[in-house]
Amino acid sequence: MYKIISDGGCDFTKEEVQKHNVDIVPFYVMLENDTYLREGVDITKEAYYKRLKEDKSLFPKTAQPSPQDYIDIYTPYLKAGRDILSLTISSKLSGTYNSATLAADMLKDEFPDRTIVVVDSLNCAVGQGLILKEIVKMRDNGYSITKTAELAKKVIETVRIYFSLDSLEYLKKGGRVGPTTALVGGILGLRPILHIVDGTVDQLDSVRGKDRVLNLIEEGVVDALKDDVQDINLSIGHILREDDAVKFKASLEASLGIQIANPVVEVGVTIGTHAGPGALAIAYCKKYETLEK
Amino acid sequence: MNFWFILAQVLGVITIAFEFTSYQIKDKSKYFLTTGIGSFFWLTMFFCMGMATGMDTQVSLMVAATYSTIRNLVFWRIFAKNTPQSKELGINFLLVMVGVALVAGTLAIINSPEQVRWLHTLGMIAALSFVIGQYLPGVHYVRVTVTLYALVVILTQTPLNILYGDFRWNIMGIAIELAKISSVAVFYLRFSKNPKQPQLQFAKP
Repeated sequence: MYKIISDGGCDFTKEEVQKHNVDIVPFYVMLENDTYLREGVDITKEAYYKRLKEDKSLFPKTAQPSPQDYIDIYTPYLKAGRDILSLTISSKLSGTYNSATLAADMLKDEFPDRTIVVVDSLNCAVGQGLILKEIVKMRDNGYSITKTAELAKKVIETVRIYFSLDSLEYLKKGGRVGPTTALVGGILGLRPILHIVDGTVDQLDSVRGKDRVLNLIEEGVVDALKDDVQDINLSIGHILREDDAVKFKASLEASLGIQIANPVVEVGVTIGTHAGPGALAIAYCKKYETLEK
Repeated sequence: MNFWFILAQVLGVITIAFEFTSYQIKDKSKYFLTTGIGSFFWLTMFFCMGMATGMDTQVSLMVAATYSTIRNLVFWRIFAKNTPQSKELGINFLLVMVGVALVAGTLAIINSPEQVRWLHTLGMIAALSFVIGQYLPGVHYVRVTVTLYALVVILTQTPLNILYGDFRWNIMGIAIELAKISSVAVFYLRFSKNPKQPQLQFAKP
């Protein structure tokens, strides 16, 4: 059976990592003192975001895993005679896909009989997590690595992800909005709604009102999913907003008439640094079974 | 009847058509283009009125119409581009527009007769609300603020306003503002009859 490896962009909890038998290559984050910390290993997401919330002047740097990081994690499995399917965060958001591909190329001569397939999720956070879960299901159902990669690409085409941000402050720090837009947006209480289109982050709309935005997102999601709700997988993420995220999940379950199996998770640092505390994310995709025909 | 006066009435009707249509449109970019074209015909209407009756009374109205035309067409391009850079430019432009409206409004209030200062103060507040309301997201702010704005403008076109020292009704001016109000009413009637559409349009998987 092939091994599934993902970067930390998938937002899997520790329990999910164990349950689904996947390995995670962490991202790096530098808060201060020029020391890079591995997300989920040297620093928890929660501690990271609390630090970000407490120190408004802080704008940490994040870095992708290096090719060597991938070589270190791939090699033992290849030595054990296993193939590898590696899922990465969108190549348009991070250089992780390059690192994983470079590592695969570098290991080709040493392990000519083994296969490493690197799949670009063209997504991130809970969107990437949904793709990973579909890949896990395919592996558990006995699909070959080639068939899984082929179907994963079809799943990727169906993934939609939306982020509601609490403010424009972190987008300004990351250079994604101008200072005047952030200032006026702040005065007017505008909360941007972002989505990912073709692997890159784009702004869908802005909405006034912290609670109103969740109602509008719920309305939008219900409208988009009402016709084929049984064929979709759905996941919710947040940044230091667990209570709202849990309530939102319960409300959505009632509106859609389904149980959302995926737990509410904390969004990872790569996206989180730009979204900031208070953000909420929702992603959905088609289950791979519906795409086999 | 004077050719320029008749032409002004024709341009007024064209303005009404564009203004009415614009408030039926949900998409911001298309709305700004349509209302921008309407503002341009509004400007030409004042020009023709000036040619018919003398430019003195029309100059300030032409300035206001030019301001509207430029604002709407700049916002049209900004919303059509919809990039962080265009939005930053848009918000800076909005602030300049608000500043200009604030200065012009204050001058109008100072220069107006004491009896109608309240009306011009209301006019400035309504105009500022409308300029900001046009830029705000969603379909409601712009329609609520344009209704307030149109109501105040109608008051300035009636004998209540003694700015120019005579008590004439400006029928075409009132008709243009009524077109905006009735368009908003029609929009909400259509809105209430249609099945409720979510404000945020999310893509199907």
